[in-house]
Amino acid sequence: MTERWERCIRLKEPLFTKPFLIFSALAGIAFLLSFYRELTGLGYVTGLNDGYSWGLFKNWNVTTLTALGSGGYAVAVLAWIFNEKKFHPIMRTAVLTSLVGYGTGMLALGIDVGRPWNFVWLADPQTWNRHSVLWEVAICMTSYFILALDVENMPPFLEKLYRSGDPAKKERAMKIFQFMQKTFPFGIALAFVLPSMHQSSLGALMYLAGTRVHPLWYTARMPLLYLIMAYVLGFACVLLVLALSAYFWDLGWDLEILGRLGQVMTWTSLLWLVAQFADLAYRGVLAQAFTFDKYSIYFLLETALILIPSFMLLSKSQRESPGALFRWTFLLTIGGLLYRFIPTTLAFSPLGDYRYFPSVAEIMMSIGFTALAVAVFLYAVKTFAILPASAGKVAAEEAMQPFDTL
Amino acid sequence: MDVNRRDILKGLLSGSALAAVATAGVPVAKAGKAEAVVPVPDAVGLMYDATKCIGCRACMPACQNANGLQPDPGGSGGLYMQPDTLNAHTKNLIKLYVAADGHERSFMKQQCMHCVDPACVSGCPMAALHKEPHGVVGWNPTLCIGCRYCQIACPFNIPKFEWDKVNPKIVKCEMCRHLVGATETQPACTKVCPTHAVIYGKRSDLLAEAHKRIKEHPGFYFEDRVYGEFEGGGTQCLVLSHVDYSNLGLPKLDKESVPSHVRGVSDFIYRGFLTPVVVYGGIVAIVRNRWKDHLNDSDHGGNGKAHGEEKPV
Repeated sequence: MTERWERCIRLKEPLFTKPFLIFSALAGIAFLLSFYRELTGLGYVTGLNDGYSWGLFKNWNVTTLTALGSGGYAVAVLAWIFNEKKFHPIMRTAVLTSLVGYGTGMLALGIDVGRPWNFVWLADPQTWNRHSVLWEVAICMTSYFILALDVENMPPFLEKLYRSGDPAKKERAMKIFQFMQKTFPFGIALAFVLPSMHQSSLGALMYLAGTRVHPLWYTARMPLLYLIMAYVLGFACVLLVLALSAYFWDLGWDLEILGRLGQVMTWTSLLWLVAQFADLAYRGVLAQAFTFDKYSIYFLLETALILIPSFMLLSKSQRESPGALFRWTFLLTIGGLLYRFIPTTLAFSPLGDYRYFPSVAEIMMSIGFTALAVAVFLYAVKTFAILPASAGKVAAEEAMQPFDTL
Repeated sequence: MDVNRRDILKGLLSGSALAAVATAGVPVAKAGKAEAVVPVPDAVGLMYDATKCIGCRACMPACQNANGLQPDPGGSGGLYMQPDTLNAHTKNLIKLYVAADGHERSFMKQQCMHCVDPACVSGCPMAALHKEPHGVVGWNPTLCIGCRYCQIACPFNIPKFEWDKVNPKIVKCEMCRHLVGATETQPACTKVCPTHAVIYGKRSDLLAEAHKRIKEHPGFYFEDRVYGEFEGGGTQCLVLSHVDYSNLGLPKLDKESVPSHVRGVSDFIYRGFLTPVVVYGGIVAIVRNRWKDHLNDSDHGGNGKAHGEEKPV
């Protein structure tokens, strides 16, 4: 049953399937609500208040979900830095998940800010507050999206141009591609440095909140822990997306790639656990994990969801069974997402009597932004050669591939 | 494969050696310890002595008039001003603390503390929140993008946001900076206070006055200390009361400000942006080798050669 993924293929399936329409409809609802929000104000669509001024949009769609969007970053480290060549066929899928993850996260950020028109001042470096962690996140995420992710996602698009049959387009595609060939290492290095910076900065965001974040999560090592978790979740996201794609679109199961991805994810997750518990012990707050108050229960839940799958996946037989690998990775993902989310909202307590629960419209918008990511992903894999497949599955017209494995 | 492993080791080693050499020359503070911010010499502030406050709340409408804020009916059904927290209509609020036993009481004037090293200013991505020449924390509507990081960062939970506006503002005390020095010599609240419970002046003078009062009445003020002298790196608004400050909504804060810790961590990691540059150089070196290898690798896209236009990549 195991196959060897070597090439990227375009899914020959109609775009307008039922799932695509459902995800698009959810995204459409989010757009309508966003439009309403721009005409009225944040208070009309969200449950945010002066105590909990950040909610689902920033804390879930940006801080938490962009960790899932770190797939392109994490897998590129394996493929390009550690030179594990077998990962090249899944790079396109990985960078696409990053593109849609970051894209929708930044969209959520744009909807969330109250005075977006003042973004124009970002063009004037005199207004920058270089000490601001949020400034770093904003600039760095935008640069990553524009300079690295867009470029990394170019080859499938160029390939389509190349095969369009129009000689002018073909030539243009080739020209751009030749330029990319020269600059590619510089782009890959940027796609490593920038996410390293902003994924750790996302952890530093709540460091400024001081004692208002519960001590189980509040540490000077938050940037490091957030960064490691970005790797774990990046691997996990690519693994889950590939597993689901393989299941729904019959791509086969490349045990070598997926098993190894699961293995690296497990090691990274164990590294995170070691760092997390070393830090907790060093700060002397480990006892607070067992007080069984609200925070202790959040902590234990999060830890269990990270610890148990990590230990299970140490076993080779678990990693080699597609079902087990998928289930454990899924649980690990929930645990990892909880870790990234809890310090921002559940373990954040402002002074005074404030409560926050997202409003229905806010939840619909948050889901809609995520649905948009899925819809764009579905569109892309049916339009461009992105998903991996064995060489035998590649259609004749796709076999000649000047852009292959990029 | 062996060659590749050696390559990466070489790359990583040379990269980190370069980083070590380069960073050794840059003087940076240890992790978590950046230089503390000290008050500017002519820093101004308020001192609120809760034991002198009679709770008349004259300062509240005075504040609203001076700042062009609409009265906030709160939950009163629109009959009179009665906000229960600071909000987008209220920059200044007198609250009353009553202990559970009903005996110990103290008023509290809630407003921006104008920190010496403010977390809101440190976090504000666009420098919309900034320190004015006398250390007053001002807000610039032209630059604010409405991200509300100031609300997340402020340890006193002071900045408020106009949630129901299309063009929302951040609302917080700016010590009447638009009036003081222009038409007024002091903020509206200190001007109207009938008992001089809140006074305006240079921070150093106010601190001296606070210590004088503590000295004259030993054991009267809570722990014989003035809140804001050291808390969170110091604040320009000072509070005196006979009850535990944490009962007045004033959190226990370290002497070192949180922003100084954040700067410490970020200086430790970034070394004046040297780290990203060095890492970038190292990664480029490694990936260039990989890329050459990748272009020559016959394993991938083997039929590109037959295609004859470009080497397969």
